[in-house]
Amino acid sequence: MIEKILNSIKAIPAFPETVQRLMILLNREDYSVQELATVVKYDQAVTANVLRIANSAYFGLREKVKSVEQALSLLGRKNLIRTIQTAGVSKIFRAVPARGYVTTGSELWQHSVAVALMSQILSRRIRGEEDDVLYTAALLHDVGKMIMGEYVEEAMTAIMDKVTQQGYSFLEAEEEVFGINHAELGGKIAEKWKYPEEIRDAIRYHHRPDLLSEDRPVPWFVHLSDQFASLMGVDGGIDGLACRALEQTIPMFQLRHKDLETCFILLHQDMDRAKDVMNLV
Amino acid sequence: MVDIVVGISDLKVSHRPEDVLVTYALGSCIAVAVYDPVAKVGGLLHYMLPDSTLDPEKARQNPAMFADTGIPVLFKSCYALGAEKRRMIVRAAGGASILDDTNFFRIGQKNIMAMRKIFWKNNVMIESEDTGGNFNRTVRLALTNGKTYVKTSGGSIKEI
Repeated sequence: MIEKILNSIKAIPAFPETVQRLMILLNREDYSVQELATVVKYDQAVTANVLRIANSAYFGLREKVKSVEQALSLLGRKNLIRTIQTAGVSKIFRAVPARGYVTTGSELWQHSVAVALMSQILSRRIRGEEDDVLYTAALLHDVGKMIMGEYVEEAMTAIMDKVTQQGYSFLEAEEEVFGINHAELGGKIAEKWKYPEEIRDAIRYHHRPDLLSEDRPVPWFVHLSDQFASLMGVDGGIDGLACRALEQTIPMFQLRHKDLETCFILLHQDMDRAKDVMNLV
Repeated sequence: MVDIVVGISDLKVSHRPEDVLVTYALGSCIAVAVYDPVAKVGGLLHYMLPDSTLDPEKARQNPAMFADTGIPVLFKSCYALGAEKRRMIVRAAGGASILDDTNFFRIGQKNIMAMRKIFWKNNVMIESEDTGGNFNRTVRLALTNGKTYVKTSGGSIKEI
């Protein structure tokens, strides 16, 4: 079974080359807007998405952005990376609906964006700044569901029996039935797309960051953000709230109950400001 | 039949029999559905947090965000359409949590307690309640007869 599932990774679309080329440019200190614009314009879908995202209230540009050049020069490096990753990842979410977990592809996309927004709220609060690596990891955390969905759909009765009758979390049921879970599978997809280790591990361990060490913060941020979004009702599909809390999470983030509630308000606010981004898929 | 969607931290009321008020994505949040069978007026609230003292400014802008500000506005909006308190039937759903949540996200439980306290203080009985558990819910209120349905994620639809 595992081999069959791992083999299916081949069916996942190649990551948009445009995005990979842009990331290489952005990792150089001396990138020019003109260079970036030339690459963006190769890809019509990415161009359209970049414009929509740059005009969303979330990125907070005061003027209406009409051209790619304008978007690229106004956004600044961190926002550019987040915008370009969002544009690229949304293209894939549109192409592969994660059936089995969700009924429409946009459900998983909205969850992914909500988790990405939440990761930045927590990062601002805990570390005083936003973090584009964390943002990308959060946006991609459930990418394994795109492959796993087909198998989950077939084995739904067995999985739901374990979850509702035998006290399993959905993730544990996946492991028992398939020998692999959607998070591990997602890590492998990210590897195929050549994402760095930090992002791959955050995807792979987003339900079990305790299996890594506590001084690797990104997986913990993704883990907690995922639970915030799911509790808010913006979940990643049928597994919904059948996930486990880890008791060390809240002490580690030093959040009081009041802070948790405030985070819900901030997420609600950012989801509203990022409505255009949530509606990309 | 016309579906009117109630968002997160939102409420809608209606007296048109063809309307169905619906709210998706109830995790730890709670939906309160009220209905006056004589006036055929109903309302649906989807609140997120128990207590508005957390952020009074937010509560002023959007009372539907909190139990203690949302529930009174829900009732008053129904009165404005001809409903009367003594005839109102109250049903509630939501307040779920994740597994093993012993020490942090007890927000679902707090939302349930806040609602019960408010109704108890105001001498209002909750006719039926489908709360807690580890799954998300969708709630529908049909204005034609006040019937209220809950769908759990991956589960079936039941009337509460």
